[in-house]
Amino acid sequence: MSLISSSALRRTVQPTLAAVLLTSVSAMAVIAQDQPVTGGTLVYLEQQAHTNLYPPAGGFYPNSGILNQITDKLTWQNPETLQNEPWLAASWEINTDATEYTFKLRPGVTFSDGTPLDAAAVAKNFDVFGLGNKELGYPVAEAINNYDHSEVIDPQTVKFVFKAPAPGFLQATSVIGSGIVAPSVLEQPYAELGDATKIIGSGAFVVDSEVLGQSLNLKVREDYAWGPANIEHQGRAYLDAIQYIVTPEDSVRIGALLAGQADVIRQIQAYDEGQVEAQSYSVLSAPTRGVNNNAVFRPDNPLVADIKVRQALTAATNSAEIVQTIFSSHYPQATSVIASTAAGYVDLSDKLVFDLEKAKALLDEAGWVPGADGVREKDGVKLELSVYESLPQPQSRATFQLLSQQWAQVGVKLNVLAGDAGSAAVDRLDPLKTPVVSAMVGRADPDVIKSNFYPSNRDALLQKGGLNPNATFEDAKLNDLLLAIASEPDNAKRLELAGEAQVYILDQAYVIPIFEEPQVFAAAPYVHDVSFDAVARPSFYNTWLSPR
Amino acid sequence: MTRLLVSRIGQAAVVLLLAFTASFLLLQALPGDAILIKYQNPEMGLTPEQIAEIRVLYGADAPIWAQYGNTLWNFLQGSFGYSVQAGVPVNALLATNLPPTLRLASLGLVFAVLIAGVLAFAATLAPFAWLRNLLQSLPALMISVPVFWLGIMLIQIFSFRLRLVPIINPSEFQALILPVATLALPIAAPLAQILIRSLDEVQTQPFVSVARAKGASRPWVLWHHVLRNALLPVLTIAGVLFGELLAGAVVTETVFGINGLGRVTEQAVSYQDTAVLQAIVILAAVGFVLINLVVDLVAPLIDARLKNPVGASA
Repeated sequence: MSLISSSALRRTVQPTLAAVLLTSVSAMAVIAQDQPVTGGTLVYLEQQAHTNLYPPAGGFYPNSGILNQITDKLTWQNPETLQNEPWLAASWEINTDATEYTFKLRPGVTFSDGTPLDAAAVAKNFDVFGLGNKELGYPVAEAINNYDHSEVIDPQTVKFVFKAPAPGFLQATSVIGSGIVAPSVLEQPYAELGDATKIIGSGAFVVDSEVLGQSLNLKVREDYAWGPANIEHQGRAYLDAIQYIVTPEDSVRIGALLAGQADVIRQIQAYDEGQVEAQSYSVLSAPTRGVNNNAVFRPDNPLVADIKVRQALTAATNSAEIVQTIFSSHYPQATSVIASTAAGYVDLSDKLVFDLEKAKALLDEAGWVPGADGVREKDGVKLELSVYESLPQPQSRATFQLLSQQWAQVGVKLNVLAGDAGSAAVDRLDPLKTPVVSAMVGRADPDVIKSNFYPSNRDALLQKGGLNPNATFEDAKLNDLLLAIASEPDNAKRLELAGEAQVYILDQAYVIPIFEEPQVFAAAPYVHDVSFDAVARPSFYNTWLSPR
Repeated sequence: MTRLLVSRIGQAAVVLLLAFTASFLLLQALPGDAILIKYQNPEMGLTPEQIAEIRVLYGADAPIWAQYGNTLWNFLQGSFGYSVQAGVPVNALLATNLPPTLRLASLGLVFAVLIAGVLAFAATLAPFAWLRNLLQSLPALMISVPVFWLGIMLIQIFSFRLRLVPIINPSEFQALILPVATLALPIAAPLAQILIRSLDEVQTQPFVSVARAKGASRPWVLWHHVLRNALLPVLTIAGVLFGELLAGAVVTETVFGINGLGRVTEQAVSYQDTAVLQAIVILAAVGFVLINLVVDLVAPLIDARLKNPVGASA
């Protein structure tokens, strides 16, 4: 795991006696880490209650924090190499054009209700994930493209057939949305899967009890013997139980952690990191390895239809200042459309240089001249844009307010709106009301670029054929590139295409990358080996508690 | 008495129907709805056709009058539909969340009444004028303290600094101490204010001087003669304060991370979870109706003049 707790990092860079002492302390901790202790309950404070626990709905952080412990996946994506390694699938074969995937399952795996996790069960899961189920209300999983059908070859072998090449499917079997659940789960109405006790998986933990909206208890599965093949720890998890407690208030989560009432907390704000580290608690951050936290333009809005305006606003954006002022070292400044830890990343920081003079010149060229109040005008129209703060993203409001100040320096006004969820959802589909939106997607596969921009996926630019029925804007070249990424069977070529897409998107100035979004957690000093999957979802399989 | 009851129940039914209709119309008038917020969210990556299918599934594609009729019919049968956001039936949501809120609110009210009573007596009987003034101005201070700030302060001081009560995994008794205090203090304030003023007013009446002249002590007169006369306005306010209790529960439950109707309401409002909101509006309306009925029934017991309404109005 490439995670370094920042307190450990500080210890090694201060060449003082205290540092030497502390280093020896952490050396002792390393010795202690060799012998994990079995037992204990981990108290985990979550900011929001989970919602529907249908695995493809696992993108929501509170859901994935639970699903990651109670379900297993066919493959395990090594967070260091981003390669897919065996888990529930012992081996697999992919045909040359990536339209057929055959998985050999690991024998002897059972769901927590005792039923076998066999080819039929896996086939049933992916049939629902890939095709949905209209009768019971199951939507299609975002990560699975071009799915056609499954074939059960023998009890341990399952084959998936695709309508068109699906090179992203192997990685899609490892994402949080592809946790395998017992077939009986998928026979219940979708609208009832918010009840965690109904989710039966094969994971290292099992749902024990739940108080809806307040707390959830998981207990260890004693007979668990099928962790990812290539990790050191096998057998049952070290913890006896995990207790999730929903604690919406930031200060209460942090206070409870520091007062010894909780062991791990999710979502700590950058401005709170200092007080956590000051007490030798650790701040754990993990990258989400996907599309960065970007400000996205809607070219259908006449104000930003002109590429020069978009380029000017890119030059007027000082993302370094945003990161330094609002965030911490755990939030790297963005240098491309996708994160530097993402698959297929290319460094495009030379396209993102902060240059006020260039910005002003571009706006002058585009015919926008400063008006009496300093805001630029053209044909009597003011260059005034709006953006909704995005509640799931860290300090979105502060980010856009600072951006608004930066753009004001070149005579562009940005209003930061904080509407109710309903208005925001409606306005988001109207480019005239939201010329700029905030968007990010976490997934460690080049498909993530398509997920964010393609009209039938998240449609960040609001293109024709997408979410906005009145859209006229369409960028055929971009869409071709995105489709090519999602269907190119050759991996090297695929990464190359991903690079081209990043260059193209920034050349068109469709987005302004701000920062690489991490998930930040804090843990007590006696909590060891909290691991994260490739997109920052915590796994407590390896976690153990040393005596306090 | 029976006639009174029957007419009050009839009124209640009308009030409930109006509350249902008004909330239904208002929720429909809001931009967007729960399905849009949840499924049109780009995070779900659904196509417009898939979202349309989900609408059909939730019955949200029907014309508005049909939806109104369906919802009303289901409500009459005790079925409140599904929470789009939480993914569970609304009945299950209410069954888990109503009891803790009822317990919190009723304990909050009991303690609010106790605090108000003690404060009002102390403010009236305290030995020095400056002390009386100080005590009399306390309710004004308590009213101005925001509930969420009070809650966070109580947690920081009593749980995190002094470590007297844990917030995470408390025992059932411990779990109630700080939330009840948080809820009770702001509710006690208006009660105390009204009780203090009303005690003051009644004290100036001639029958008090008569009782004192007969040799009764001040506290005795206050308890036996003044209080009973001063209680009526307080009782009326207590009925109205039920709304305050619900509002206070939203904040208290969120700050303390305990489940309850307040938290559910807050979530349902932010995600426009219409089915949940509709059920909560009806529950709240039922609560108001019941409490005001109780207040009306209790008032004559406190003030005998109200037993015969015709005589009282003469």
